[in-house]
Amino acid sequence: MDIIIAILVTGLTNGALYALATLGLSLVWGSMGMLNMAHGSMLALGGYMVFTMAVGIGLPVWTGFIAAAAAGAIFGGLLYFCVVRPLLKSGGPGFETSVMIATVGISIALENALLLSYGGQPLSQPFAVAGSVNLGAGVMPWLNVTIVLVALLVMAVMGFLISKTKMGRAIRATALNRDAALLMGVPVEWTYLQVLGLAGALAGICGVLLSAVTQLSPTLGADPMLKAFIMCVVAGLGNLPGAVISAFGLALIEAAVQFGLGARWGFPVLLMLVIAILIWRPNGLFGRAQIRRM
Amino acid sequence: MSDTSIKTSASARNGVRADLAIGIVFLACAIAAPFVIDSKYLIGQLIVGLFWAAIAVQWNLLFGYAGVFSLAQMALFAVGGYGTAMTATYLGFNIWVAILSGAVAATIFSMLVGLACLRLQGVYVALLTFAISNVVYLLIVTDTACYEMIGTTCRQFTGGPSGFSRFGDFGMRPLLRGDWVKGNYAIVLAGFVLTLVSSWVIIRSPMGLAFKALRDNQGYAIARGINRFHTQLLVFGISAFFTGLTGGLYAAHFQAIGPSVFSMSTLLFIMAIAVVGGTGTFWGPVLGTIVLMVADELMRDAGQFRTLGLGLLITVFVVLLPRGIVGRLSDFLATLQTRRNASRQGD
Repeated sequence: MDIIIAILVTGLTNGALYALATLGLSLVWGSMGMLNMAHGSMLALGGYMVFTMAVGIGLPVWTGFIAAAAAGAIFGGLLYFCVVRPLLKSGGPGFETSVMIATVGISIALENALLLSYGGQPLSQPFAVAGSVNLGAGVMPWLNVTIVLVALLVMAVMGFLISKTKMGRAIRATALNRDAALLMGVPVEWTYLQVLGLAGALAGICGVLLSAVTQLSPTLGADPMLKAFIMCVVAGLGNLPGAVISAFGLALIEAAVQFGLGARWGFPVLLMLVIAILIWRPNGLFGRAQIRRM
Repeated sequence: MSDTSIKTSASARNGVRADLAIGIVFLACAIAAPFVIDSKYLIGQLIVGLFWAAIAVQWNLLFGYAGVFSLAQMALFAVGGYGTAMTATYLGFNIWVAILSGAVAATIFSMLVGLACLRLQGVYVALLTFAISNVVYLLIVTDTACYEMIGTTCRQFTGGPSGFSRFGDFGMRPLLRGDWVKGNYAIVLAGFVLTLVSSWVIIRSPMGLAFKALRDNQGYAIARGINRFHTQLLVFGISAFFTGLTGGLYAAHFQAIGPSVFSMSTLLFIMAIAVVGGTGTFWGPVLGTIVLMVADELMRDAGQFRTLGLGLLITVFVVLLPRGIVGRLSDFLATLQTRRNASRQGD
């Protein structure tokens, strides 16, 4: 019984974190066909922003959340102006791969910049919630509850933004058909900038929550990003609700495998599962087959 | 990215002649290098450059010509190196046999990965190959089960975090004594030339045309009877064989192989080489290696900013010179050619 509770606590917490990371990736992929390899280092950027605000300057911890979201959004904007826009202008069919390689470069540069300015020693995160609640056989730390709640709140806000606002409508229209949206008067470039900003803010917040359970290090985003990628792929790239569902599902499976077989088998089993799913459904669990024009 | 695949026979002959000329100049420089350079460090760096160039040539074959965006290249290299080290350590193979078996192991591994991944397309392939190489790395690093005891220390079957060492070398030390590095250089150079020539033959063969056709217009290529899955699996296997071979040579040269070869920064360096030189151009990876190795040496003074600079360099090149140095150069030459032809017609 206590094992089941432990699996649930770990799985749901990781699921919430993966879901936030996946959401940012999926949003960017779905609306502009861009795989942002710098997402992991943007998570790290968010985590370090809280550290700067709370420990470096001495402001209350909640300002760190705002700073993390703002830093992520600004970085997303920079990414748009320095990398995405020139590539879209010059690009054409090679955009998918060239933007991927370019963001790999950005990611290495950002990670290294963090390493140079904060040092390589793992730092502990100022955002913490003490105490835990007893659930009969097991314990559930309040920190994990907070993480899940914050993640759900952020997801709800995102859902509202995408489905109810004018900005969300523009994003969805651009995702469906870029040219048609352009002809209908949607400012596509401005929409792309908004998407990257939103994804950056998501990454920043996710980074804060993530570094609360692990430690702050420049590469803290690498592992969650890899798993978030896998979850995106399972859901079908660009499918937001599917991404959230598969994030929670896979995180629970991973936690169960880790408790059952030992920590080192968690990821390999996950990957085997994903490959099996992709052989069965090449466009992901919730993806529809796309008709690609050649 | 699409290079000028369709050429008239005359310009194709010109292309062969140009490739041959560049190849001879390159080979002459490479052979002359150990006679001119005396510093052991520089020869060592040249050897490392040859390794990176060989992997970049194979990645370019895979990505630049066949359009398969695989991020498992360093994993294949590592399988080649580990295969060499493990067969030499556990089975007592002669180092040359071990290198060959490492290359075969890399080919088999690539077939398994390819069967799983190549049914998918584009970024899906990239993500899955990336994840697979990460899993292999994690499994090696976290391996703690003792396989055999060496003295008082225990060695894991996969070598664990410390990897393998002292399983044999090229045997140049007793032969050349102080100049053994130059002997190793000759062997690695021979391996690199083999890699380069084989990729040239593949690109020029009908098979190479099929790769390019699939990359440029998949629907049309399939309609003309090219089997996408088989063709891409084939190029994946070929490129894996030579990458594994390079891995074996690497392990034998350094007499050590460890999990650090999986690292993202090495993969990134290989990609940077191909991108800076020009993907989908034959000499791109070679030129890219020269440029990046020189830039790397220059940035050595900058010390800690080296990785930062490298990351930015890649981004700048992708954004400003999407076809790399060689691509831009050949565009420039082509414009010159057309202009000259136009003016000749005007006369």
